[in-house]
Amino acid sequence: MRGVKTLALLGAGAVAGVGISFIINTAEARKPFTEEDLRLMNEELIALVKKGDELWHSPKLGKNGLTCANCHPDAANTNPHTFPKFQDNVGKVATLREMINWCIERPLEGKALPEDSEEMKALEAYAIYMYRGYPLRPGDNTREYPPVKVESGPGYP
Amino acid sequence: MKGITRRKFIKAGMAAFTAGAVSPLLGVVNVTEAKTSKRSKITPFRFVVVGDAHLYEMPNHRFDKTFERAINDIINMRPKPDFVLFIGDLAQFGKVKELEKGKRYLDRLRRAGIPYYIIPGEHDWYLDMGKTWKEMFGRPYWSFDHKGVHFIGMNSILVEDYWTARNMSPWERMLAIAELECHICGLWGVGEEQLEWLERDVKNLSPDTPVVVFTHSPLWNYYPRWNFQTKDAPQIREILSKFEKVIAIHGHVHQVVYNKTGNMVHIGNLATAWPWPYPPVDLPYPKIRMFRVDPGDIYDGVGFASTFLDDTFLGTMKYHTWADLLPEDIKDGVPL
Repeated sequence: MRGVKTLALLGAGAVAGVGISFIINTAEARKPFTEEDLRLMNEELIALVKKGDELWHSPKLGKNGLTCANCHPDAANTNPHTFPKFQDNVGKVATLREMINWCIERPLEGKALPEDSEEMKALEAYAIYMYRGYPLRPGDNTREYPPVKVESGPGYP
Repeated sequence: MKGITRRKFIKAGMAAFTAGAVSPLLGVVNVTEAKTSKRSKITPFRFVVVGDAHLYEMPNHRFDKTFERAINDIINMRPKPDFVLFIGDLAQFGKVKELEKGKRYLDRLRRAGIPYYIIPGEHDWYLDMGKTWKEMFGRPYWSFDHKGVHFIGMNSILVEDYWTARNMSPWERMLAIAELECHICGLWGVGEEQLEWLERDVKNLSPDTPVVVFTHSPLWNYYPRWNFQTKDAPQIREILSKFEKVIAIHGHVHQVVYNKTGNMVHIGNLATAWPWPYPPVDLPYPKIRMFRVDPGDIYDGVGFASTFLDDTFLGTMKYHTWADLLPEDIKDGVPL
C-alpha cells in the first residue's frame, strides 16, 4: 500500500500467552476471480472506507460540534481488533458498532445510528482499515493501541 | 551567528528531517562568542501552563466546563502562581466569538491578580490568518525576563500556503487544519522571521542564563503525521545550544510526554478540552505517560500543569488532573 506502513506488531504467538500457534494454510479462490475482479471489489471496500473517513470527520453525527476525529485521529485508540469485549461504560460485552453508538450518544451528544445502516458500516470499515494487520485480541479491554503508522495521504489507497 | 552559517544548517536540518531522522541536536555547534558572566540568580517561583481549550461558539459547551474548572483551580492555587502561560488553541475554529469567550476566561486570571502570556495554536489562526488573535493578544512571539529566567514564546504553527492553489475559502482552510491528521496542510514551523528574531533575542545572553521556551508544538520530531513536530526545531535547538540548559514546554499533543535533546528538556502539556491517544511511534521516555482515559468522564484525560523552578534552575512540572490519570512515580511532578 503506497505511503502506508503497517506496524511490525507482536507476533501471533504472543496473543495473551495461551500458547496458540498458527499454521498459515490458505487456499486460493477459484476462478472466475480475475485481477480485474479483485481490483473492483477492493475499490468497493475503499469507497466504503472513504465514506467512513468523511463521517468520522463530520460534526453531523453529533450535536455539540465534535467529530469522532476529535479524540480519534486516524481512528487512533478505537482498537477495533479488541472487540467484542466487556465495556465498562456500556455495562456488557459490546461490539465495535455498539461502542461507536456509545460515542455518538455521549461525547458527541448525538442520536445512535441503526446498527445495520450504511453509515455505521462505513464508520466501522474506516476504523478497522486503520488497524489493518493487527492480530485479533477479543476481550482485550485494558490497553490502548495506536493505528497503523501513516506517512502521507488519508491512510488508505 | 552569521546568516550564512545558519542557512547552511537550515539545509542540514531539512535534510535530516526529510530523511525522517529523529534528529538529535545538529552537530554544528559553533556559537562560542557569548560572553561569560556571573551566574544568574533565580528567585524560586512557580508558573502555570494551560492550553488547548478548543472553545466552541455554542454556550454551555463541555469544553467550557473543563476550561472554567482549570481557570477556577488556578485562581484558587496557594501560593498564587507568578503568571500563567496559555500555550495555544484557545478557539476551535478561530472564530471571533470563540476567541472572545476564551479571553473572557483568561481575563478572570488577570482580575485575580495573575498575569497571563499567550501564544497561538493552529486552531486560533487559520480562519483569518491570525488577524483576530493578534488584535486581541498582540505579538505572537515575544520574550521577557522573570526572577532570573529568560522566557521565550514563539508561534510554531506556520505552514506553507495549501489553500490558494486549491481555491479554498477561509472556512475550508480552517476546517482542513482543524483535523489533526490533515494530509494536505504540510508541516509547520516558526519560519525565517522568528528564527532571525530568536537569534537576536538570545545574542547577548550568557550561556548560564536559564531559558524556558514555549511553543504550541514540540521542538522535536515526535509524529509529523499529526504535526507533533516543528519543522525548524533543529535550527531553534541550534540557536539555543549555547545555553547550559533550556526547558521547552509545548501543547498540541494533549498528553503527557517527555523528551531530552542535547541541552534541552521537552515536556508536553495536557489539554483542557480532550486527550489524544499516543501515536504509533515509540516514546523516548515511555514511563512518563498517562493512563488510558474514560471517555465517559469529561474531566478525565485533561488538566493543566504548574512548573516550579528552584534557584539552580532545576524544575518540576506537575500535572493537575481531575481523575486518576498519572502513574505513581510522576504524580508529584516530572523533573525538568
